[in-house]
Amino acid sequence: MESLVISKENFPELINTIIKSYRLFAPTEEKGFSGFNIIKDYLEMDLSYLNSRMPPKAILFNQTETLFLMEPGAKGSIKSKAISNEKSAIFAIRPCDAKGFRIIDPVFLGDVIDPLYKANRDNSVLIGLSCNQPDSSCFCTSFGDSPASGKYVDILFTDIEENYLVEVMTEKGKNFVNNFGRFFTPAPPKEIEAKNAKEKEAIKLIKRNLKVEGIEEKMDKMFNHPIWEEYAKKCIGCGTCTYLCPTCHCFDVVDESTLDKGARVRTWDACMFPEYTMHTSGHNPRPARMHRLRNRFYHKYSYFPKNSDVIACTGCGRCIRYCPVNIDIIELMNRVSEMEL
Amino acid sequence: MVDQKELVKVAKETLARKDVKYIIGYKKGSYGFQTSAAFAYTPKDVEEFIFTPLCNKNLAKYPLKEEKLPLKRGEEEDKRKIGLIVKGCDSRAISQVIQENGMKREEVVLIGIPCPGVIDQKVIEKRFPNQSEITEVTEIDDDYVFTIDGKEQKIPKQELLAEVCKTCEYPNPVLYDIIIGEEVEVNPKAEYEGIKELEDAPLENRWEYWEEQFQRCIRCYACREACPLCYCSTCMADLLEPQWIRRSVNISENTAWNIMRAFHLAGRCISCGACENACPMDIPLMELNKKLGKEVKEMFDYAPGLDIEAKPLLGSFNPDDPEEFIK
Amino acid sequence: MTENPYQPSLATIEKIKVEVTGERAIKTFKLVFQDKEIQEKFNFVPGQCVMISLLGKGESMFAISSSPTEKDYLEVSVMKHGKNTSALHETEEGDTVGVRGPYGNHFDVEGWKNKNIVFIGGGIGMAPLRSVVNYTINAQKRNQYGNLDIIYGARTSNDLCFKDEFTELQKRDDVNVHLSIDVVEEGWEHFVGFVPSNLLKVKPPTKDTIAITCGPPIMIKFVIQNLLELGFKDEQIFTTLEMRMKCGVGICGRCNIGNLYVCKDGPVFSNAQLKNLEGDM
Repeated sequence: MESLVISKENFPELINTIIKSYRLFAPTEEKGFSGFNIIKDYLEMDLSYLNSRMPPKAILFNQTETLFLMEPGAKGSIKSKAISNEKSAIFAIRPCDAKGFRIIDPVFLGDVIDPLYKANRDNSVLIGLSCNQPDSSCFCTSFGDSPASGKYVDILFTDIEENYLVEVMTEKGKNFVNNFGRFFTPAPPKEIEAKNAKEKEAIKLIKRNLKVEGIEEKMDKMFNHPIWEEYAKKCIGCGTCTYLCPTCHCFDVVDESTLDKGARVRTWDACMFPEYTMHTSGHNPRPARMHRLRNRFYHKYSYFPKNSDVIACTGCGRCIRYCPVNIDIIELMNRVSEMEL
Repeated sequence: MVDQKELVKVAKETLARKDVKYIIGYKKGSYGFQTSAAFAYTPKDVEEFIFTPLCNKNLAKYPLKEEKLPLKRGEEEDKRKIGLIVKGCDSRAISQVIQENGMKREEVVLIGIPCPGVIDQKVIEKRFPNQSEITEVTEIDDDYVFTIDGKEQKIPKQELLAEVCKTCEYPNPVLYDIIIGEEVEVNPKAEYEGIKELEDAPLENRWEYWEEQFQRCIRCYACREACPLCYCSTCMADLLEPQWIRRSVNISENTAWNIMRAFHLAGRCISCGACENACPMDIPLMELNKKLGKEVKEMFDYAPGLDIEAKPLLGSFNPDDPEEFIK
Repeated sequence: MTENPYQPSLATIEKIKVEVTGERAIKTFKLVFQDKEIQEKFNFVPGQCVMISLLGKGESMFAISSSPTEKDYLEVSVMKHGKNTSALHETEEGDTVGVRGPYGNHFDVEGWKNKNIVFIGGGIGMAPLRSVVNYTINAQKRNQYGNLDIIYGARTSNDLCFKDEFTELQKRDDVNVHLSIDVVEEGWEHFVGFVPSNLLKVKPPTKDTIAITCGPPIMIKFVIQNLLELGFKDEQIFTTLEMRMKCGVGICGRCNIGNLYVCKDGPVFSNAQLKNLEGDM
């Protein structure tokens, strides 16, 4: 790992130089909230943001994506889709959202490789921006992570007043930085200290904690506990929590065609919708909201750890912040954690 | 505002009735400015009930969301009533649903609370993004008063009040079994003032405006799930055969979805704002609903959710109905 | 370029056999990959599934109902029920469909050598069992297995699948066929009643025997109950499960029971596994 600095004065030029050779995704403000968009100029970027409304998972795993093209019908044919190899950089991704990719990697890059995700993942450099201002629903620290963690990104920027401290975390990050070497100088110790101080301050701002320890074992014994029904009562069964989650990866596959043209398309899907598991016969293995809500929390805190050895939650807080009915994963999981069985 | 003790007392009395299975009210939320729906089965549960300016969710959805799972052998259906705390808008929702035969009057016991307006969740959270501590808000004269980090905040009501409340014509419950609290004075401001600017804009600007809004839609259907008038057992958006709306999330399908939902709410939307509140992408859905509500009012002199005996607007015919729009 | 696991290969419907007519119509589709090399390389074991799609309509998962001993084609038997199956029922011989797979685990036909096998099927649930039946009665394989008992039933005689094949099997002396229908019909000479009852009547011996069952969930439930009653151990009982599936390869998320995905960790489960599996089925 290498630590560099770039002055804020030179920063706009760096961004505009990156834009010349990379498709650059960065947070922009639209209608009062932030989202990741391709920017063509430094000025479009808004770094005052807390976090984007939609997680940047949408960049590597698009909400709607063509799997292949077809000529539909009983005499139809198939045309493979060309997979783009365009070089991208995602700038100012938050450490929690970058972790999201690390969590879903084993799903898309496991026994069977998803070529679309793989191409996007391979061709993207993740450039993080430390959170100096976590908000009321942030809880990444519950998982031993930090709002200024460079663990899951290729390069991490931290705003340290006059300069950005730039930590190069991976080989991919190093290659990237080397392309723009003239903008960076080695970081003097005081700048590294400045980052550590910022990190400490940010951690202090995180007020909420999810007690992770022992939760998987607890859940092994709680499948039939009434707590799931209790929360399902107030759940209205929308897809907000799943669609805004950086680790929810479920999708639907559908054919969309006109008379002579068509495509097989995948779109995000949500386990909170009854149609998600509905059999053709009309039988539904998860007929009630209780089953669906329970499955969602089990998937994150029990099944995922069993299959991939990591809790499928990053502590980004979006599901808490945007749940229309205040279903709060911290509150619920802490009750599970503290449950006397 | 309603006295919490009185609220609890009335709710307890209602719960004690033999024909009531549980009561749905509000309780404190899990953090910051949140409140939560509370399902009270015991007198102890009822003690958690609150009614504050943060009680901005429409509880009328919940009786409609009650799931009737197949009964186990020997099990009998619980036909007792559901108790429900209703503000003006919630009561209109229930009234409209009853009018449409979506529910029977005897299925619910309504505890009405005249509502002086509620706080827009998104506005207050945006203003205080770091407030994780559970915060109670009270209304004193024309201000909302609460404490943050030991410092008292006094914010003019108009700054935090939800848009729908600013123009609410029916803050007092129109349908109830018991009412608590004092009747609220009706705001004289015209209900459709909020959409005037948009109405006056040229056609292409309006189209551009809505394209921009619908572009953001992620089709999570939070609007539908939060809306007390969206209670179809199968929404046409979920049908596969025929498939009216494709699953692809793009401007064309998103527009189809949002316009379709708005049309299905014409003459039915009771202006609670639950859809807009729930929308994670901040789409101003109430502007669509208000516009249709206004057309309905002007053409048919009809407002939904006021009379359970009335015929639903689009389910009835009157020889005097205007017909200029049929060309 | 990495191979696209979601993209099917094209296959031609060589033959359509009408198994059952009427409201719950069933047809068996004989499919041959249009690319010879793909056909030659397509290997599977009974119990495995394939994703079949009529292009433009959509994709569904079906158990392969033919035996891998037939190398030149594969068959799926499909009941007309929803959007995709109705579209498939409207196809004609010579039409093109997309096929990808095979997916999932399988019946352990290798491990079951020298054992007796009891097949207990209901309605369209016979489809995956047919693959094992045809595998074990194959001329080269038959002597590797002990007694073969097939207990099969449907609502009415019209709803029985593979009727002509059962007629042939009944002529053989190395397979026992026990057919049933749910309600009395004129001319019906076999058992009348539900499949689980027929099982109790047939009473297959448990020693060195494997029981495999597939059918409607309620039938499976009572079949397993009755098998246990007859003395079968959980480890001797196998079933194959159904779930809504989309990707077929454990990515899209929906077919989980607990932490297992039916598409890749299933669809075949022993009752010993099922008993310990806590999840929504």
